[in-house]
Amino acid sequence: MNFRRLLGYNLLTAFVLGIVGFYVGWWLGHQFSGPSIAYFADTGQNDIALFLAYLVGLIGFLSGLGFASYPIQRLLGKPPSLREKETAGTGRYFTLCTDHKVVGMQYLIGIGAFIFVGGLNAMLIRFELLSPTKQTFNANNYLTIVGLHGTMMMGMMTSGILGPFANYFLPIMIGARRMAFPRIEALTFWLLMVAGVILMTTVGYGGFPTGWTGYAPLNDQANMGMDSYIVFFALVGLSMSLLGLNMIATVVTMRAPGMAWGRLPIFVWSVIATSVLMLLAAPVLISTLLMVALDRTAQTGFFNAQAGGSPYLYQNLFWIFGHPEVYILALPGMGILLEILPVFARKPLWGYRLAVTGMLGISLLSWLVWQHHLFVSGINADLRPFYMLSTELISLPTGFIFICALGTLWQGRIRFTVPMLFALAWLFNFLIGGLSGVFLSDVPSDVTTHGSFFSMAHFHYTIMGGLLFSFFAAIYFWVPKMTGYAINERFGKIHFWTMFIAFNSTFGPLLVIGFLGMPRRAVTYAGYLHGGNTWVSISAFFLGGSMLVFVGNFVWSQVFARVPVGANPWASKSIEWQLPSPVPVHNFDRIPTFGADPYPYGDGDGAGDSTAPRVVTAPARPRP
Amino acid sequence: MSMRVQKALATLLGIVVVGILAGIYVTSLTGGPTPYRVPVAAAAGGRSVNLTIQTVAAVGPKLAPNANWVSYLVREHGIWHRSTVWTLPANSLIHVTVYQFDGKSGLRNPFLAQARGLVGDAFTLNGKSLSTINPDDASHTFAIPQLGVLVPLAGVADDAENQCDVAPCPLSTAHNTITFTFRTGKKGHYRWQCFVPCAAGFYYGFGGPMQTIGYMDGFVNVV
Repeated sequence: MNFRRLLGYNLLTAFVLGIVGFYVGWWLGHQFSGPSIAYFADTGQNDIALFLAYLVGLIGFLSGLGFASYPIQRLLGKPPSLREKETAGTGRYFTLCTDHKVVGMQYLIGIGAFIFVGGLNAMLIRFELLSPTKQTFNANNYLTIVGLHGTMMMGMMTSGILGPFANYFLPIMIGARRMAFPRIEALTFWLLMVAGVILMTTVGYGGFPTGWTGYAPLNDQANMGMDSYIVFFALVGLSMSLLGLNMIATVVTMRAPGMAWGRLPIFVWSVIATSVLMLLAAPVLISTLLMVALDRTAQTGFFNAQAGGSPYLYQNLFWIFGHPEVYILALPGMGILLEILPVFARKPLWGYRLAVTGMLGISLLSWLVWQHHLFVSGINADLRPFYMLSTELISLPTGFIFICALGTLWQGRIRFTVPMLFALAWLFNFLIGGLSGVFLSDVPSDVTTHGSFFSMAHFHYTIMGGLLFSFFAAIYFWVPKMTGYAINERFGKIHFWTMFIAFNSTFGPLLVIGFLGMPRRAVTYAGYLHGGNTWVSISAFFLGGSMLVFVGNFVWSQVFARVPVGANPWASKSIEWQLPSPVPVHNFDRIPTFGADPYPYGDGDGAGDSTAPRVVTAPARPRP
Repeated sequence: MSMRVQKALATLLGIVVVGILAGIYVTSLTGGPTPYRVPVAAAAGGRSVNLTIQTVAAVGPKLAPNANWVSYLVREHGIWHRSTVWTLPANSLIHVTVYQFDGKSGLRNPFLAQARGLVGDAFTLNGKSLSTINPDDASHTFAIPQLGVLVPLAGVADDAENQCDVAPCPLSTAHNTITFTFRTGKKGHYRWQCFVPCAAGFYYGFGGPMQTIGYMDGFVNVV
């Protein structure tokens, strides 16, 4: 056996160093003593030790993957490797790799695994709510399950589309061979994976009672499981901001000749709009969580009213991040939608500039609406009308997206492929989500629906109905390009229809149940809501079953059947479809030159029309 | 072995591993330190039961993972258990004896010093019948809001001798004995809890044991 390979930078080394680091940090944390730490003696929990354990464990894990190698080599004056594992082979998927396509695949599988965990928690929630009073999970564990579901989904899905698909396709779409910061690109992925594992460990530390928002004063009072939440979200925030920075830097600096701003694919614009939000919003989250961590360890009082702090401040800081976060989730879905519709309607994207304006408008306005989450939290009454109107104003740029989508479909020669079905479902679901959102942006109706299942159903319509449906649209659309193998169409359609029907059968009634008075995050509920909840739970189980159909189809298609798709199965005119499937390691033999608008459909005879790319090739630049 | 068989075995192995991990995860959430318990059997032919509990300042390492947390314990067949989820018969009299070993911390809301919802509207404190106590003397409360039951539990004096160190506390150590009776109504699942923020070390005393089943609150499962 080649022991050198075992001892190198790889996942095994990373696990070993991560675990060793965890216990070193734990030990260090227990060396703190003194009067100011008497708190821990009283409570029998040492938050400092757990924070240090996570931190040192993270450093150990990343070092084991090789992330420390580059800075150390530079410090020692040695020539560092500019590329890591940019070769063929399976091993590159399990370590630090600077090939953006490998990182995209890592994201797809890694995030998929954590979505499975989040979905499992959703099933447990619905199982618990089959009965109004009888409990399978006790109240604390139920709150932890709800918190784990929400936090995992909101945290992981921030990179749900940018992680797999922007990392993979954005450089190709702008004619580049790599991202601007390939190591940072890989770092964002591994940070997210470590964060996910850390969040799962909360179960061993008593869980956390706050749901995904982590409100004060509960976040001060909670068990050590709260520390897992804090570290998780801080790492997600770090990953998000680095991802956003990398995307913006790549688009600004690495576009190929001829790729003017007005020729960027609409998906790239959605990535830009999202990345700006990520870069600016995530640091607010990280700072806020650092303050909470200090409250819990160094006995500061940022959010402790008894010490002069303000729990209300936490709510403001959280939602300054939290509402842009909603659009961080929504905008990539809009990009996917508008990228897919022209391909399957065989028409140019209608209103390209309007769509770009809509995305950037949403990105801007999302900063001005956060207080609508605080209408019932003691907000100054005079401020309510402004935030009500600013929230409703955001429906205008959102409307631009709908207009562009409908304009593109109008008189198109539509092919109802699986990705197209998911894209069309996005329109339906997001419309319901948007209309129900009006009730939550209006102060009078928000006062009665806040904290109810109505609110919960609304954001599931926007986030699951929007983001997750577009996520699946992207999978069915782009995975054949990523792997070179088709995904079975028949089972794809079975997946779509079961998911679409079960989704609406789950969350539609929840709007009604919320209006009838069903509160969020409550393990017991009134008897008259039993029938509705039973219906919703059964629908949710079908929804979970539809995911199993997808997983089965995905594994069957990609592992067993392996039907080659060729370079351009959708007859798309985008540049990525002019390359072989899967895309070779170096992307292009020659750096392309772009010379036309991004969506030149309609110049042929429908599905069989010219698939000639809008690209002319030029002599290659020397590789950096 | 053909490649196809290898893939099938690998897929099967993956399904098994994921299934086991999911099973462990779900089991860890359904299990826990607070099983449903019947503290004592109902007297033969009668519709009344005795419930004996104690409150301790620190539950100790033998009974709980959080050794320093304040907690309730319940006695079943002569043995003290850390369980706060109890099964009681419906439409019955519940005779409760509380051995109160914790010190005084006082009530933030004097309203809670008044006993409510008890048979006879009174409880006994060391044999003396009372309906209220000095709010400053309280250590905990025992309350089942949905049944309207509220009893203030007077704490042990700070200067009392022979105070209990480790739970379960023997009756030879300093304590107060409180007895009262309440009536369970129809079948249901009722939450009970201490309403004194008694989790020392946590902000406002509301953290840790105050929000964790198995310490300062639980459920009464009336069947």
